[in-house]
Amino acid sequence: MSSTPPGPHSLAFRVMRLCRPSFHVDSPLRVDPLDLFTGEDFFDDPVAASQLPILFPQNGNTKTGEPDLTYHNRFELQSPIDAMGLSGLLVLPQAFGAIYLGEAFCTYISINNSSNFEVRDVIIKAEIQTERQRLMLLDTTKAPVESIRSGGRYDFIVEHDVKELGAHTLVCTALYSDGDGERKYLPQFFKFIVANPLSVRTKVRSVKESTFLEACIENHTKSNLFMDQVEFEPAQHWSIAILNADEHSSEINCRTREIFKPPILIRAGGGIHNYLYQLRSSSAQMKSDRSNILGKLQITWRTNLGEPGRLQTQQILGSPIVRQDIELQILDIPSLTVVERPFLVHLNLKNQTGGNRGPFEVWLSQGDPHEEKAIIVNGVQKLVLAQVEAFSSTDFQLNLIATRLGVQKITGIMVLDMSEKKTYNPLLDLEIFVDSD
Amino acid sequence: MDQESNEEQTLASNLQALSVSDPLSNQFNSLNDLCYEISSLQDLASRGSWRSILDKVSRARKLSLLRKPHEHLIYLSYNVLALTKLRKFEDAAEELDSLEDFDSAQYKYDSYPDHYPNRSGSMVPFALRWLHAEIPHKLGKRQVTLDRLYTLLDFVRTKLKDRGSKSMDVSVEQWKKREAFLVNSISCHHLSHKEFQVCLTLLQSLYNIDSPDPVLMSKLGYIQMQLGDLDGSKASFNQVESLMKEGNSGALLDEVEFKNLVSRNKALMYLVGKDYISAVREYDECMERDPSDVVAINNKALCLMYSRDLSDSIKVLESALERVPTVALNETLVVNLCSMYELAYVNHADIKKTLSNWIARVAPDDFDSSCTRV
Repeated sequence: MSSTPPGPHSLAFRVMRLCRPSFHVDSPLRVDPLDLFTGEDFFDDPVAASQLPILFPQNGNTKTGEPDLTYHNRFELQSPIDAMGLSGLLVLPQAFGAIYLGEAFCTYISINNSSNFEVRDVIIKAEIQTERQRLMLLDTTKAPVESIRSGGRYDFIVEHDVKELGAHTLVCTALYSDGDGERKYLPQFFKFIVANPLSVRTKVRSVKESTFLEACIENHTKSNLFMDQVEFEPAQHWSIAILNADEHSSEINCRTREIFKPPILIRAGGGIHNYLYQLRSSSAQMKSDRSNILGKLQITWRTNLGEPGRLQTQQILGSPIVRQDIELQILDIPSLTVVERPFLVHLNLKNQTGGNRGPFEVWLSQGDPHEEKAIIVNGVQKLVLAQVEAFSSTDFQLNLIATRLGVQKITGIMVLDMSEKKTYNPLLDLEIFVDSD
Repeated sequence: MDQESNEEQTLASNLQALSVSDPLSNQFNSLNDLCYEISSLQDLASRGSWRSILDKVSRARKLSLLRKPHEHLIYLSYNVLALTKLRKFEDAAEELDSLEDFDSAQYKYDSYPDHYPNRSGSMVPFALRWLHAEIPHKLGKRQVTLDRLYTLLDFVRTKLKDRGSKSMDVSVEQWKKREAFLVNSISCHHLSHKEFQVCLTLLQSLYNIDSPDPVLMSKLGYIQMQLGDLDGSKASFNQVESLMKEGNSGALLDEVEFKNLVSRNKALMYLVGKDYISAVREYDECMERDPSDVVAINNKALCLMYSRDLSDSIKVLESALERVPTVALNETLVVNLCSMYELAYVNHADIKKTLSNWIARVAPDDFDSSCTRV
């Protein structure tokens, strides 16, 4: 709310940022008079209890329809709820405040003629200047204000969606003819800085068919931010579901739960809130796509009286899923494995490519040559599998035997594609428990 | 003065019977029977003449006009309230420090059987306990105030529990009011510090789903709106409107008050949707029903300003101050008017001085004139 000193100018700009008003809250220092001129246990006495309410009717004063000419409302409570000090009175913003990216900057601009003469043909402009650009918000060049009388005013309200960080200048200019007919130019500058309100940190984790995205939003502003909408817009081929925490059992049975539902409010100056999403990709995408754009987070927050702000994150990437040409899956394994007794493991080999593959050789690699593996193939060490067609699979069995007791690993199952001459180790280690006889 | 008959020994359950049958047992013909010249203190308080109250208390003490123990306490309570109202917080704290612990025998009716033959319990006015809790905050010690208020709430709830089983309806009723009063006072502190979630929990404790309070629901709406939950506030205001349509105010509001409450809530929804014209229309209806609805007047002025009509917004507030000064003269309205003056006039110091002088003539003693920023 600054202005240049009057100087030789007849006109001056007065500017007031017009963010939304707030409810006035203040302890009203009002009491129930009974609590002032009787002892607190006074009404325990049945005689007093019956007498006093007649003597001092609680609601007598204000409902007679006559104008109230006292200030008793600054002293007496009408009802206990008056003590909350939230009458519903709105108060204008009393300071310029901080401005953040994503908010709307709204301001009341008044151009006043404080001279004794009329001014004429006023061309008013209001412009926002940043490092990168200049945006005209108001320009009366095509329809100049014909005149502003002495003591008169011309008002306008301008709004601008803040999309840049850093220094901004609101430049207000007036080109006018003063009382002497002289053409004068009045520029006034109002500077403000736009800061970043939020930061978003993401973590991506893939588990089997699902990808989980954890987003942590941190509030850098000086106000609590109400998270009105936080939506993840998935990229093509992805579907999204938000995962919410279960409600506490005490809340589920509460009849007033809906009315007093706690809002998602992120504390000012460093408060955080986490969101968890589960993404599923449609199978068509999985086979071909190497890049992994998951989507964007759209955030709409609100502050006092619903003052909105909107931001969008950059594209969020998942961990790249490297799709193997050949995939191995364990279909069945015996629930009980006994040492030195052969057991069968059912496996499925999937050809993820668009062409025929195989034939294949399957064996267990030796790993460390100095130590015999706990679980080895029983019988012929190499298994040969026939060719597998494109996007098709084949089932087979491995005949294994455990040589040691306890928790052991089935590890190092190797698959050689004899036509492509490529070796794969497509299966993670599997732990089993080997029992004694 | 203190003539008592044997009939007083019996529990009086029938008000009619008591007042008609035995005039001699009627202890309180007027307010002044309760305490020396209390109606004069009440009158001064209603006018906002807090400095006169200080004088009166001081005089009564100097001339030893107070005869009974409870009168000293009551006069002290008015004194502390007056000092607090006049923002003389150090002096108020000093007065309170001059007292013994509130629960000491010195402040019990039982300790003075000659003065109070049939009365027992504490003669401490409840407002004094509350003031004792609020003062530290005014001296910058917010945490002490919160601790004292929560402890006091506990104290009140214990009193309620003790009286629950006995048939002390009026007493219980008063203690329940005190409980609600404290919960609301505590909410006010949390609200000023934007601790919204605590407020919602406190409000929930006041809410009675079987006899819903439209005023409480409206306050919930304001809090939701303040923190930005517009959907929440809409739902709360809809509830209030349903209650009005059902004719269900729990006897808390008369018809005009209820209609105006619903209208003002509607206006707020229009306001946040930037439909200022509809908001002004609602406020005009309120003012027609009740010309001293100062919330409607004040908020209408703001709507006009947000519609680029600064001149009319100023007129609305100035006219209200002229028309209904005792209702309209409050610090918030004056702050708004002065903000408007600062925007409308390059040389706003003059017009603010005029306003300030008028206020000095008309305002009660406790009016905080720093709000004019003159």
